[in-house]
Amino acid sequence: MSEATRSSSAVPDPAAAPRLSLGEWVRDRLGLQDLARLASKKEVPIHRHTIFYYLGGMALFLFCVQVATGILLLLYYRPSATEAFESVQYIMAEVPFGWLIRSIHSWGANLFVGAVVLHLVSVFFLKAYRAPREMTWISGVFLLFLSLGFGFSGYLLPWNELSYFATKVGTDVPAQIPGIGPLLSRILRGGSDVTGATLSRFYGIHVAILPAVSTLALGLHLLLVQKKGMSVPPSVERKGATRSMRFVPDFLLRDMIGWLIAVGLLAALAAFFPWELGRKADPFAPAPAGIRPEWYFLSMFQALKYLPAEIAGVPGETLGVLGFSLLAAVIVAVPLLDRGASRGKPSRLWDVLAVLVLIGAAVLTVLALMPPGKAAS
Amino acid sequence: MRFLLAAALAVLLRAPALGDPPGAAPAPSGCVDCHLALGDDRVSPPAAAFADDVHARAGLTCADCHGGDPKAEDQEVAHDRRKQFRGKPGPRQIPELCGGCHGDAARMRQFNPSLRVDQLTEYRTSGHGKALAKGDAMVATCASCHGAHGVLAVTDARSPVYPTRIAETCNGCHGDSGLMAAHKLPSDIYAKYRRSVHFETLTKKGDLSAPTCNSCHGNHGAAPPQVASVANVCGMCHAIFADQFKASPHEAAFAEMGLPGCVTCHESHAIVHPTDEALADGSESKCADCHEPGTKGAAAAAAMYADLKRLRENTAAAKEQLRIEAEAGMEVSRIQFDLARADEALTKARADVHYFSPAAVEKAVAEGLAVTRSSREAATRVHAERQFRRKGLFASLGLIVVAIVALAAKIRDLERREP
Repeated sequence: MSEATRSSSAVPDPAAAPRLSLGEWVRDRLGLQDLARLASKKEVPIHRHTIFYYLGGMALFLFCVQVATGILLLLYYRPSATEAFESVQYIMAEVPFGWLIRSIHSWGANLFVGAVVLHLVSVFFLKAYRAPREMTWISGVFLLFLSLGFGFSGYLLPWNELSYFATKVGTDVPAQIPGIGPLLSRILRGGSDVTGATLSRFYGIHVAILPAVSTLALGLHLLLVQKKGMSVPPSVERKGATRSMRFVPDFLLRDMIGWLIAVGLLAALAAFFPWELGRKADPFAPAPAGIRPEWYFLSMFQALKYLPAEIAGVPGETLGVLGFSLLAAVIVAVPLLDRGASRGKPSRLWDVLAVLVLIGAAVLTVLALMPPGKAAS
Repeated sequence: MRFLLAAALAVLLRAPALGDPPGAAPAPSGCVDCHLALGDDRVSPPAAAFADDVHARAGLTCADCHGGDPKAEDQEVAHDRRKQFRGKPGPRQIPELCGGCHGDAARMRQFNPSLRVDQLTEYRTSGHGKALAKGDAMVATCASCHGAHGVLAVTDARSPVYPTRIAETCNGCHGDSGLMAAHKLPSDIYAKYRRSVHFETLTKKGDLSAPTCNSCHGNHGAAPPQVASVANVCGMCHAIFADQFKASPHEAAFAEMGLPGCVTCHESHAIVHPTDEALADGSESKCADCHEPGTKGAAAAAAMYADLKRLRENTAAAKEQLRIEAEAGMEVSRIQFDLARADEALTKARADVHYFSPAAVEKAVAEGLAVTRSSREAATRVHAERQFRRKGLFASLGLIVVAIVALAAKIRDLERREP
């Protein structure tokens, strides 16, 4: 406890208290010194896989970029079918640096999802989900689902041709779930079709519901990371004691280099490839060729296309959606299913399964990106 | 007297087919059965085709046109002239035969109250009708265009008089060089029409309102428009051009010289897309056909051509500037939208050529040039903004690199201090 704190709590005599600078006063009143003490105790293991620890920080940084640019976009964006497209057009052409903010937000969304996916994949292969970090993994997977939700809901907001029809396809997918599917699709759309009501709904989900849930999930995730410490991979663990570095300042300074590189990359993408706006959505126009979702949904989109109309009397799409749901459930439950890893044993089966899933997703994504004729052949 | 009553009764019993409400089932007829059973190439196909005929669907029978007794099983009785059997009507009888019903408003009202009943009257004024009246049987009559037994409604796309098929149907005779030579008419009309903008609009764009033969010549009263009425005929669709032509100095001059309006410059059947070059003095020139170099008319054409060219080139240049910026990812859709007004001005200026007055064209061109000017200025501002972004990016990247170097130096310093 500081000198000032002790004197103020012991003798309530303001005249006797020493004069504090503004910085000291803020630190004292907010108790920042306690946080600094906590941070100084945090250590990051050093081994040949340490680089993967930076992915979590990168995802967190990009999330903050999304929050900051998203708030700025809110100042001009108008969430209605008649004004959404025009307001984004206005942001891109008239608002000073509006193009930069919107392009960073759009590119940042993709980099953010990419960083979260890479973080999850690295955590999986480094077996960081082992006891006692099961809840850290589960909250992390939940955050990935929330990221995908951010991407899906944000995609419609410019109300352009591509996003409109992709959302039509996307909101059809939950309708395949037996029982509650049609109701779920109706709730998502705010009606039987994608309309201005869907836009208002997606806007609410994107700027209020998902941020609130994400803040809670992220808080829990960070708390668990802090509480349980950084995981060391079993292969490194078996070799015995590892070196470590202080989180502050050693690891944080290195993290900051990564963040600066990310800022540079986002700025370059925004300057050279401003995010395209396309044409305003016209619900009465036929769907243009080449409708597809964002890259992180492409593998699922392509897989649904390959499924036959019916498999053993069950609609192919229904089976596909159930399959994806099962895969998501398995990913969530990995720490509970992979018992070997928890005992420090190598879990080759899980590694092989994960590699197969990743290769499958990559192949399907490439096929979805190819022109229609080539993908079919 | 008894015989007359019996005959009248027989006619009434046969006639109900015409008096029946539309859509009634055809009265029993042995004609079709017998003619089909004969298997004769001359009489069987017409009997087979009649099943799909619009008249058969309306409840009419063979006897309504050919007469005779459809109930008789014996050919002699069925084809008895005393029972009004007419056999195969010849070209001279056909218009009167068809007109017997189609010219009778009371009768046609039972089948289609909105159907016109003046076809025969029109036909008599047509080139075909007049020639027929003079004894020329080698002319088109009703059946030549509509068919004789498989007559289809004109709204049926299979009908030979459906808009997309009329030209081909007319060409059946008008493309016959021998027949046309006998009538001193050209036989290349259809070939010319196929090159026209009208044919393209009708067949390739599927616009059924685009003109085909009967749109300009009339259908039943088909005849070439007279010199004085050409502008009126074209003006049915091209109303603005017709008004402009009437207000131009050309109308009086053409009338004086006996030249038809419109087709003197645009051709009559091979009406191709007009180009600005028609005003220039090159090989595509139309004005130069009449206006010799150095004359007032040639100078006016040159002035209008120069104005149109200037607007066209400025619009293209503005579009190109905006295309480059759009491809570089800049948001220029609003400027592109505004630039569309230059295209509208160019269209208007081209239309105003029909005033044949350089001042009228210049006015429309000036409006377009004002749009292209502001669009090009806007495109230049967008280009400057793009350059500013690039420079700003490089400056930012420079600062980021400096910050990274500083962080790296700090990390190194910390590593040096700690073992």
